Amino acid sequence: MGLIENLKSYSEGVQVSADKQEVLTSFLTNGFPTTKDEEWKYTSLKKIITNEYTIENTGAVVDASTIEKYSLGFENKIIFSDGKLINTPSIKGVSISGFADFESNTTDSILQLNKALAQNGFTISVDKNIVLESPIEILFFITTENNFSQYRNQISIGENAEIKFVERIQNLNDSTSMVNHFTQIHCAKNTKVEYNKIQNNTPESRLIDTVNVYQEQDSTCDINTLIFGGSFTRNNLNFEQNGSNCESNMNGVSVLDDNQLADNHTFVDHKSAYCRSNEMYKGVYLGHSKGVFNGKIMVRQDAQKIDAFQSNNNLLLSDHSSIDSKPQLEIYADDVKCSHGCTIGQLDEDALFYMRSRGIGIEEAKAVLTYAFASEAIENISVEEVKLLAQKLLAKKLNVDLDFSL
Amino acid sequence: MLQIKDLKAGIEDNQILKGINLEVKAGEIHAIMGPNGSGKSTLSAVIAGKEEYEVEGGNITFNGEDLLELDPEERAHNGIFLSFQYPVEIPGISVSNFIKTSITEKRKAQGLEPMPTKDLLKMMREKMELLSIKKGYLSRNMNEGFSGGEKKRNEIFQMAMLEPKLAILDETDSGLDIDALRIVANGVNKLKSADNATIVITHYQRLLDYIIPDFVHVLHNGRIIKSGGKELAHELEEKGYDWITKEADKQWA
Repeated sequence: MGLIENLKSYSEGVQVSADKQEVLTSFLTNGFPTTKDEEWKYTSLKKIITNEYTIENTGAVVDASTIEKYSLGFENKIIFSDGKLINTPSIKGVSISGFADFESNTTDSILQLNKALAQNGFTISVDKNIVLESPIEILFFITTENNFSQYRNQISIGENAEIKFVERIQNLNDSTSMVNHFTQIHCAKNTKVEYNKIQNNTPESRLIDTVNVYQEQDSTCDINTLIFGGSFTRNNLNFEQNGSNCESNMNGVSVLDDNQLADNHTFVDHKSAYCRSNEMYKGVYLGHSKGVFNGKIMVRQDAQKIDAFQSNNNLLLSDHSSIDSKPQLEIYADDVKCSHGCTIGQLDEDALFYMRSRGIGIEEAKAVLTYAFASEAIENISVEEVKLLAQKLLAKKLNVDLDFSL
Repeated sequence: MLQIKDLKAGIEDNQILKGINLEVKAGEIHAIMGPNGSGKSTLSAVIAGKEEYEVEGGNITFNGEDLLELDPEERAHNGIFLSFQYPVEIPGISVSNFIKTSITEKRKAQGLEPMPTKDLLKMMREKMELLSIKKGYLSRNMNEGFSGGEKKRNEIFQMAMLEPKLAILDETDSGLDIDALRIVANGVNKLKSADNATIVITHYQRLLDYIIPDFVHVLHNGRIIKSGGKELAHELEEKGYDWITKEADKQWA
């Protein structure tokens, strides 16, 4: 048995449309990707799909104190409990509802599975010219044990609108859970979007998270990913720029220990001229943790005057941690500025001594330097509450009682 | 306050300090002078607890406590401060945050609660004024992009904030123009009291025109070969180091 078998028997009990059936058959025939697949070369799914899962179970009620515990306190909350949408805020100019299927790319078998069987998620549509200062918080709670769940979300942002999101998936028990999460975002002309992902789930949680962003001219979309928890995290961020003067920004901070694995795969498809993309990924690896970074940048022939920047910096803080980092640049236009850099290192001994000589204990000094290392990516986040949470989680992960704010 | 007895220390297999004896009492200013490579910076690093240096013999006590048993942070908690010859750049941490962390850690070691932010900021403003430090400086990243003079001033600013019992100024004058030198020296003099002591390590006499030492020691080839009052510094400035180092070389040959 294992996840494939669980999915097979689950799918026999549900009715799906003919086109979904086709996608499902294709998925069940080919199965999950293996390390022979170039996109999964450094990240093996083998271990996490051999477990038994219960598929899409609806479970217990999530009480107010639990919500409060995991919320960052924003007024507008979308809350799911085991797939069931239990709270939608009412915001002028923003329509929020549950799952509604939509067309999407299904070249990837993970997305095929999502397309075929996902029945939960949110649909958000933001009217044009709407500007929201406070973020919409989206919380997904898992209450049942050994749950496998899938979400399929769509966000459409009307012209000139500006909006922010903070998303968190939280397992409320210690069992193994797995989520196949997919969000598609359409950014119309001159929109501004910031999407913050807080990935700090329980130690046995697994997550495959895909975001496809389609941008029209003059739009800016930021996706910030903070990975602290979970045993297995795979993020796929795909940006498609379909108009001039688009900007796509990605900031990522991973702080991992024990046997955690985090894999950030990014893809920016520069299809139009005069656009920008910035990627800054910082990884801190303790214990036996492992990181993967794969950053692909494609600059199409007509996409002149592109400014693409990518950096992936890593701190290996133990002898047993590792990182595989791979930049992938495909450039077909001749007048572009593309740069990428990758560093792998340890903490600076001179800086450690300097701090210790000022009375800062060695563990605290390491934490401060680690924070300093990650801060460049954290600073790019505009939502103060998310920034503070990142600082807190970092201090907690490094086992120190430090407050970085003044 | 500080007693160094027959201190021998080095790095890897290379012995740099070959038997240092020094006593510093509260209220005193000692200058340690000497040519390049004489062991001045090694001595300050060993007092501060830099781990690359191995102590092969002798001992250091600080207010009766065996200093060599303590970690660098514990030495700092006990009141030792080293102003670095080459202060380290720490991108990502602001000056204010760095100082706040170090004061909080020091207080934690003493069993005290963190200083209220309001008091801390007030103290920072006072000390900044003392050292003619401009506004906006606190939010800059620690030493990042600082000029040589700014880095040294930042060292003295930290010293002012941490209020050490023993401050070691390692080549604090290098990289300072005359105005900055005056400001730094003035700061050191104002922080001086009957309860604290200062060791000024310098190659040149220049700084000692502003920070007047009670004792001057000449370090050469890992040993203090001559000690005297402040007039010794003037003599060295006039005659150079050769006249005493040659004599010492003969003695230790």
